[in-house]
Amino acid sequence: MLFFLGYRYYSAYLAERVYALDPGFLTPAHQFRDGIDFVPTNKHVVFGHHFTSVAGAAPIVGPAIAVFWGWGPALAWIVLGTIFAAGVHDFGSLAVSLRHRAKNIGTIAQDVISKRARTLFLLIIFFLLTLVNAVFAVVISNLFIANPGAVIPIFVEIPLAMAIGQYIYKTRSAALVPSILGVIGLYLLIWVGQQFPIDLAPLAEAVGVEPRTVWVVILFAYTFVASRIPVWMLLQPRDYINSHQLFIALGVIGLGMLVGWNEIVAPLVNDVPDGSPSIFPFLFITIACGAISGFHSLVSSGTTAKQIDKETDARYVGYMGAVGEGSLATGAVLAVTAGVVATRSEWEALYPDFATASGGAVGNFVNGVAVFANNLGVPLELAVIFAAVVVISFAATTMDTGVRLQRYIVQEIAELAGWHSLARNLTLAGLVAVAVPMAMALVPGGGDAGYTFGVLWRLFGTTNQLTAGLALTVVAVWVLRMKRNPLPAVTPLVFLLAMTTWALFSQFWDFTQGESWSERWVLAPLDAVIFVLALWLIVEAAGALRRGSRREYDEAGSPLGDDSDVTTR
Amino acid sequence: MTVRVVLVRPWTDAHGGTGCCGGEARDGLCFDGRVDGPRAHDQEVGTVAEAHLRLLAEVPEADVQIVGADNTAYLLPSVFRAVRRRRGTWAALKEANRATTAGSLLVDGERVGDVQQMGAEAVVTEVRRRVSPAGVRTGRSRSPRASRTP
Repeated sequence: MLFFLGYRYYSAYLAERVYALDPGFLTPAHQFRDGIDFVPTNKHVVFGHHFTSVAGAAPIVGPAIAVFWGWGPALAWIVLGTIFAAGVHDFGSLAVSLRHRAKNIGTIAQDVISKRARTLFLLIIFFLLTLVNAVFAVVISNLFIANPGAVIPIFVEIPLAMAIGQYIYKTRSAALVPSILGVIGLYLLIWVGQQFPIDLAPLAEAVGVEPRTVWVVILFAYTFVASRIPVWMLLQPRDYINSHQLFIALGVIGLGMLVGWNEIVAPLVNDVPDGSPSIFPFLFITIACGAISGFHSLVSSGTTAKQIDKETDARYVGYMGAVGEGSLATGAVLAVTAGVVATRSEWEALYPDFATASGGAVGNFVNGVAVFANNLGVPLELAVIFAAVVVISFAATTMDTGVRLQRYIVQEIAELAGWHSLARNLTLAGLVAVAVPMAMALVPGGGDAGYTFGVLWRLFGTTNQLTAGLALTVVAVWVLRMKRNPLPAVTPLVFLLAMTTWALFSQFWDFTQGESWSERWVLAPLDAVIFVLALWLIVEAAGALRRGSRREYDEAGSPLGDDSDVTTR
Repeated sequence: MTVRVVLVRPWTDAHGGTGCCGGEARDGLCFDGRVDGPRAHDQEVGTVAEAHLRLLAEVPEADVQIVGADNTAYLLPSVFRAVRRRRGTWAALKEANRATTAGSLLVDGERVGDVQQMGAEAVVTEVRRRVSPAGVRTGRSRSPRASRTP
């Protein structure tokens, strides 16, 4: 209901009074129409593409950890964040990109904030992707260890998807039926996986490492190869299968809840043990995707902006995309507070401290969804593997894409730094893109309790919020130059920057006091670097906003004054 | 009479990449020249692009969309609704499945052919025939949106 009200009233206010959308504006899709990238497209088509590009596993993990502080604060941040931060951010990034030839937010930052902002953008995205790939490698590894029955389905899905893709391509057949058969095959493999679980513990013991380490290495070896395969050969057919899985999983969660009518057993506000991370600021970086995610600005600008038919469509596509992600996060909260266990004491056993809560969060979500599936008559053991397969499928696709994007970033940074051999060597750039996050994923500490995972997740959240901060700065400066009210963008910007710098400072202190070498010599320096990036962003944002309020800009045709992007090419 | 035309993207014009923090695999960061896309298959993409541009210019009565074969959330319901009115539920289901064939030309929900095999000229002729059965349109006209000003 609140999401609906947010879309109905707040997004309308943003569209009319803040972003001043004009139905007569010639969008880049029309201005540069080429039938390939710049294509004016029906808003429902664009929304489908935009939403599948932003929705995935991340809005599951954050909320599944954050209910540690109670379901009330987690849900409140998801709802308020979606309405007043994510909606403003996703919609604003799209709107500002439409007025800048559909350029991406990093390039616009260079135009609107300063030339240094593009370098800042590249560095933030580098750390963001490093942490994304690291945390998802750990998520998948932990799920493989907890659900060895999921290994066969997940690994057979890869050649299965490639075979389906080749069949569709070579025979020019319809994709729907083969991909549905692929999903059925995948679910049959769940039964096979249950009969033949793959446990790498003996292998890990033989080589003297943790099983998670072996899985992390295997996953990064796979993504190194996968990121070199053309998108249409592997990612696209796998996405096709995943899209069916998304609808099935959403149906299972919705119907399972209705049938079982599970009650929320978690506390509204949890009385967390002493020494736990405090709700301020850590709740607001633990839940990034689902409340506000900077990565959405990359999809909104550059990609989605090239397909917007009418400027007014940006409201539906951008704001509703944020609402959709917020809905997924709400579903995750329900799964880990109502589905996973039946009593308060059982729930408290799953969330006794932050380390256990973060280490077990994804497993709790999987078990919660399994209970919903069990409500519909699916045997619980199979339901658990089904839910694990769904989550791993999404996380693995995110890793595939993340490593690929990381390779672009490595090449881009190498180009800026003048390291041309690295910039032009795909294999070398790919190795760097894999080695850095793998090193982070292998940082020791906490073992199965997942202490390191919890820390990496929080660092991921801070970099994601910094990306959002950069995008909100661009939006705020643009709005200010149009002589419109910048507060809807400035308010979440200030809040995010305050929470992230507070969290980074607090964590840095904890790391330097830590007992393990990894805390003092890996996590503390990493935290310090991200902290410096945050301070840099604050300085750039303040300077850009000050300049934006002092100078005169042409509001009519060129909202950025001397920027001629809008009307010329 | 408005004819709804959908050009389904070729399979090699892939836009894979699901997930928050995954984004768009082909060109997620939109850096020029770093597109892991259909560069080895530019001809297929180019044919669809040419058909799209020519339809917009020469058959302005047609509502032309380019849709990915993976966008089932749009293709299935829109094709099913369009065909069921004329030919019933079973035919609509079959057409909805056929609509997910990469590279298809769909006219009012029905799969007319393969854009690559037909070529842009034949696509325009076919759509023009459906818009005006006599097929007497000549000359070029501008897209309605082309007259917009920023």
